[in-house]
Amino acid sequence: MNLFGLTLGIITLLMIGLGFVWVIRGERYFGHLWWPYVMGFGVLLILVSLVISSLWTSALLGAFGASLIWGSTELKEQAVRTEVGWYPFHARKILPPFAKFIEKWKAPHL
Amino acid sequence: MELNYVGLVAAASTFIGVWFGHVAVRKIESVSPTLWLPTIAFGLAGILLELLSLLTPDLLLSTATGILGITLLCDANEFSRQQHRVQKGHAPANPNNPRHARLMREFPAVTTLDLLKREPVGKPVTPTEAIKLIAQH
Repeated sequence: MNLFGLTLGIITLLMIGLGFVWVIRGERYFGHLWWPYVMGFGVLLILVSLVISSLWTSALLGAFGASLIWGSTELKEQAVRTEVGWYPFHARKILPPFAKFIEKWKAPHL
Repeated sequence: MELNYVGLVAAASTFIGVWFGHVAVRKIESVSPTLWLPTIAFGLAGILLELLSLLTPDLLLSTATGILGITLLCDANEFSRQQHRVQKGHAPANPNNPRHARLMREFPAVTTLDLLKREPVGKPVTPTEAIKLIAQH
C-alpha cells in the first residue's frame, strides 16, 4: 500500500480549507488588489518545488503554491461578497504597492 | 541538476481539482433535479481515485489521484451546501430545474440573479444598487 497520495490529499484539503480563511481575512484587511502578488508567490513556490529533492517538501510546496494561485483568483469575488453584505466590509484597507496600476487590470476569476 | 516533478504534479492536481469542483458543483447543482445522484457519483469517483492512489506503485500517479480523489469527496459534500446558497440567494436559482422552482416558492430570498458577477466598487451597496451593478456589468 502506498499512503503517499492519500496523506498528501488530506493535507492538501487542509491547505484548501485554510485558503477560505486567508481569502476572507486577507480581502477584509488588505483588499483584493493584492492578487498579482499572491499569484506570483504561488508560482514561485511551485518553481521552487521543482528543485527540492525531498518528496514531501516538494509535494507540499507545490500543493500550497497552487492553493495560493486559486485563492488569488477568489479575492475579487470575495470583495463583492463584502460589498453586498454577506461578509463584514472593512473600509480602510492596506493597499499593495502599485495599487493604482493593478486597479486598471481585470482581476482574474475562474 | 535533476528536477523533482512531484511538487508540480501536486500543484496541477490541486489547481485542477479545485477549479473543476468549483465549476462542476455549481453547474450540476443548478441543472440536476436531485442532489443524491451527483453526491453519490462524486463520492464513488473520489473513493475509486483514493483506492487507485493506495494501490499504484507510481509516485506521481499516487500524488495526482490522492489529491483529485479528496477534492471529489469534498465536492460530493458541496452539492447540499450549494443548495443552501441558492436558498439564501447567494447563488442564482435555475427556474427550469423543478427542485429550484420549488425553492423559489418556499424561500423568499431565492433569486435568479448572480449578484457576484461584477467588478468590486470599493464600498458597501444596497440590494437595489447591487442589482443595478450587475446589470451594468
